Amino acid sequence: MSGRGAWARFCRDRRAVVSLGILAAEVLLAALLPVLLGLEPNASDLSAGFWAPPTSEHWLGTDDVGRDLLSRLICGGQISLLVGFGAAGLSVAVGVPLGLLAGYRRGAWGFWIMRLADVVQTIPSIVLILCLVALTGPSIVNIILVLGLLGWTGIARLVYGNTLAVREREYILAVQALGGSPAMVLRRNVLPNVVSPVWAVLAQRVGRAILSESSLSFLGVGLRTPQASWGGLLHYASSLSVLTGRPWVWAPPGACIVTTVLCLQFVGDGLRDAFDPRGSGRAAK
Amino acid sequence: MSRYIRNRLIAAVPVFFGITLLIFLMLQTASGTIVDLRGEGAGAGAAERAALEAYLGLDAPLPVRYLRWLGGVLRGDLGTSYASGKPVRTMIAQRALPSLLLTGTGVLLSVAAALPLGVLAAWKPRSGWDRAASAVALVSFSVPGFFLSLAGIFVFSVTLGWLPAHGMYSGGGFSGLGDLLRHLLLPAGVVCAGGLGGLVKQTRAACLEVLGEDYIRTARAKGLGDRAVMVRHVLRGAGIPVLTTVLSHIPHIIGGSVVVERVFGWPGMGSLLFSAISSRDYPVVMGVAVVIALSVLGTNLLLDLAYALADPRVRCVEAEP
Amino acid sequence: MKKKIALLLALLLGLSACGVRGAEACVVVEYGLSNPWDSLMPYNSPSGSNYSRIIYDKIYDRLAYVHAGGALDPRGAASWEGADGGYAAVFHLDRDAAFHDGTPVTAEHWVETIRRMTDPACPAVGKSVFSVLAGTDGSGAATGAPLGAQALDAYTLKLTFKTPTTPEDFLLDRNREYYVLPTHLFEDVQGAQLLSLDLWDAPVGSGPCTFISETAGSRLVLGANPDYQLGRPGFDELVISVVDKSNLLPSMIAGDLDYYAFGGSVAAEDAPSARSGGLEVLEGETPNTFFELMLNNETLSRPVRQAIDLALDKQALCLQATGGLGEPADSDLLPGGEYAVKNTWSRDLERARALLAEGGYDGRTFRLACTANRSGLAALVQQELAEAGLSIEIETVDSAAMFSGMADGSYDMGIASHTPSALPLWFTESRLAEGNNIFHVPDLTPYAGYIAGIKGEMDPAARRALVAEFQAFLTQERPFIPLWFGRALHVQSPTVEGIDYPSSSFCNENVWEWTLRR
Repeated sequence: MSGRGAWARFCRDRRAVVSLGILAAEVLLAALLPVLLGLEPNASDLSAGFWAPPTSEHWLGTDDVGRDLLSRLICGGQISLLVGFGAAGLSVAVGVPLGLLAGYRRGAWGFWIMRLADVVQTIPSIVLILCLVALTGPSIVNIILVLGLLGWTGIARLVYGNTLAVREREYILAVQALGGSPAMVLRRNVLPNVVSPVWAVLAQRVGRAILSESSLSFLGVGLRTPQASWGGLLHYASSLSVLTGRPWVWAPPGACIVTTVLCLQFVGDGLRDAFDPRGSGRAAK
Repeated sequence: MSRYIRNRLIAAVPVFFGITLLIFLMLQTASGTIVDLRGEGAGAGAAERAALEAYLGLDAPLPVRYLRWLGGVLRGDLGTSYASGKPVRTMIAQRALPSLLLTGTGVLLSVAAALPLGVLAAWKPRSGWDRAASAVALVSFSVPGFFLSLAGIFVFSVTLGWLPAHGMYSGGGFSGLGDLLRHLLLPAGVVCAGGLGGLVKQTRAACLEVLGEDYIRTARAKGLGDRAVMVRHVLRGAGIPVLTTVLSHIPHIIGGSVVVERVFGWPGMGSLLFSAISSRDYPVVMGVAVVIALSVLGTNLLLDLAYALADPRVRCVEAEP
Repeated sequence: MKKKIALLLALLLGLSACGVRGAEACVVVEYGLSNPWDSLMPYNSPSGSNYSRIIYDKIYDRLAYVHAGGALDPRGAASWEGADGGYAAVFHLDRDAAFHDGTPVTAEHWVETIRRMTDPACPAVGKSVFSVLAGTDGSGAATGAPLGAQALDAYTLKLTFKTPTTPEDFLLDRNREYYVLPTHLFEDVQGAQLLSLDLWDAPVGSGPCTFISETAGSRLVLGANPDYQLGRPGFDELVISVVDKSNLLPSMIAGDLDYYAFGGSVAAEDAPSARSGGLEVLEGETPNTFFELMLNNETLSRPVRQAIDLALDKQALCLQATGGLGEPADSDLLPGGEYAVKNTWSRDLERARALLAEGGYDGRTFRLACTANRSGLAALVQQELAEAGLSIEIETVDSAAMFSGMADGSYDMGIASHTPSALPLWFTESRLAEGNNIFHVPDLTPYAGYIAGIKGEMDPAARRALVAEFQAFLTQERPFIPLWFGRALHVQSPTVEGIDYPSSSFCNENVWEWTLRR
């Protein structure tokens, strides 16, 4: 179950490898293209007009204030990917350790960690947003914080439940009896067993975070205008005439989000299978 | 076990008050009060503002306001809405049932669709079922609710004219089950789609997990039929994570779904919370928060009990705090 | 069994008169509103929003009906004239007007309404509308001096003002906030208890619609008042639902809404969708929105304010926001109105740069607040100001946060829009006043002087001259920047006839003239 073995197993999953490649390409393109092409996503081209349809100059047309939609799509990718991975990563980074700790230590630890999760789960997100807007104003960091900190409870609960079940298994008890330190047991024996459902959640979380970002902007915690994001571009579709008459505005960011989520799903499945010590993913073959 | 439940119930008290205090404080940091909405019109003069704030009790110091509110809650009085002047309790009572109906139907639909799909996908990995499950999850994860709502309205209401585009009934009020169901279908469909992906994925992952267990392999090796293994062992073993996911929707069912309720003009708690936030109608926000807090606490207790009941190994290990 | 369930649901979810009577016999008009209203007590609307006023307009009666162009029609009052050398207005009430409980509306009801609401013990937030009347202070509370509301006889109401005001100017300014209440139903109630009456949960008014049921903040079912003095509305029920902005037009095309407020207005870019959905779209003739850039006069010096005015491409902004249905403005006076001045605005970047240098602009970044639906506009403003060398950052917030941030000085600029009126001081009087100094003008004295002068001048020509003088002063001071006046596109109801679409922006709707197309 070494890292090398897992990597080798992951590489055998062609779909996962291709997906990982696509994700890497997305990140690279979003990071490099704006610099290489000298894109100006925030500059209005008043000669092209507002809501111009695609032309040779503006491949995806222009938006409501005459900005080039292709530039905004590419530059929006940077922010959306950052928010998506950042928020999902934060949820996992907080949720998995807390869930593990709660499930492994049980007792007072488990009890109060889960009560903390209760409290966080209860705060309506728009209340938290309203509060953060007032305290710090809009920024990417804020979005990641809001989405990440609201999202960890579900993951913690999932990991907690699994840990409770796993820690009573005979082999864990055996390792403990042989004198394995708690940290080592957790990392080497419990963690691999409880994270597989987390992989399944990860793709979902990234997708959701990318989408949620755009719906946060109405209360002001969204991106600072005029920054672009995929979610924000997709939001233009809330007008009937854009939805039905200008598919070139919302279809490309929509396709980007779908691709990202799809690839993440495959990579998640691949990772799960690769790290799963008992190879349950292939059990029924 | 009973000691655990008792501890949980006792702990719920400080947790509940912690939540209300936290939300109360968070609301105080938000800029603006309902009086500031007057800026759309001519604005409010200083005297007018002071009078209004005094009337609404906004001029009292923070701790006094919280204690006043808390005192009311303990007497079963959630206060009076700043905007509508009605008791918050009445407003929530009016909104709770529609929310329950909409989100409850949506979640039930997604459970009904996700369980078979998830099980089949796990049973035959990489099959057509598995691909269908992935596709469903993909749509669910990557299409936002507002988009699905508007696209649904465009297709089913505007273009085909089959379903109504907004509201809960046609005309002045309830006029038959059929009418209600027609209004329910589109928004409940969107709620269902939102929860479907997570549920399918959870079910599939949980079943796969169980299918990899030695005792299942043994059972299959012993020649126990597929169906028997499935029913007797897999579904039972996969029950916990699936139950977790389903139960974790309960607060959401009670709290309503803000986007769907708003777009469809559904008179639920989600749309109530949204408009209360925009108009800084704090008694209403606090009232909705109390209801959500109670439902989260209740659900999580249920959830942990479900763990304990479903898995005997867990049952005996839960210690006191 | 099915019937039992249905009945149970009906009881739980709320009944309607039509639901009980059966749908065939019932003519229902489905009416959409994008935001919820406040309390149904018309003088207890903390937000003071138009969404509430348009509801009160149905249940309660007003003195007059104000057309979009500023013309006035009789409503609660059949006629009116000035009196006491311009200091008073006499209203001859319609003798057929009656409350929904059958009690005739008399001048005494109006006087009592005003007396009860201006009672300092009554916490009504709407009492400030009475501050124009004699015998009240700046907040509209009675001072003890004789109150400027008298019943000359059972059907003649006399209002006395603090400054000379023609009845027409008074109505243009205040008509949408003066409602007559059924004071005979709360004669014995103390002022402090007035707002907590059960009456306001099921109000009795004298307007064209009667109250049937309400789900607060979501749905209001009204009936037609068969005895309304101007005629019975051509429907049995008016069902007002809160529908999200994005769903108003789709619902209308789908046939689930018959009409939506205000006046079925639709953005220029959505008009083609409405037309292709089979709806007719009418272009409004009177400007019904005025956009301004609010400025913080403390943080932005006068040359900087003038530089911003010159740096903005109002033409492009107006085109972006209205799709061509508007004209850039250099004053807050309604174009085409009596006081309209010649528009002399033009963009001048060179001059803007020079003014910035003169104002000692040090390159700091100012903060502009706007609501999320105007973030595109704000982005354009940012680019235009950047061309002149002024940098701003944009905060998209909701409107409560924007107005409170402007008021407490945390924002330097904000984009706001208002419904204009033909009066010369409609915009300036309330915003350049002590206590509501939203532009943070350090010294309001000169403004107060101009405003008092204009209000006190009765001779039209002299008044016009004073208004022009005041406008010149505003141009020089630039406490705020007028952006443009916009006109609306109105989606016509396919089912209801007789709707006066443009006047809806002025918070009244002629429901008594609505009839259903057969």
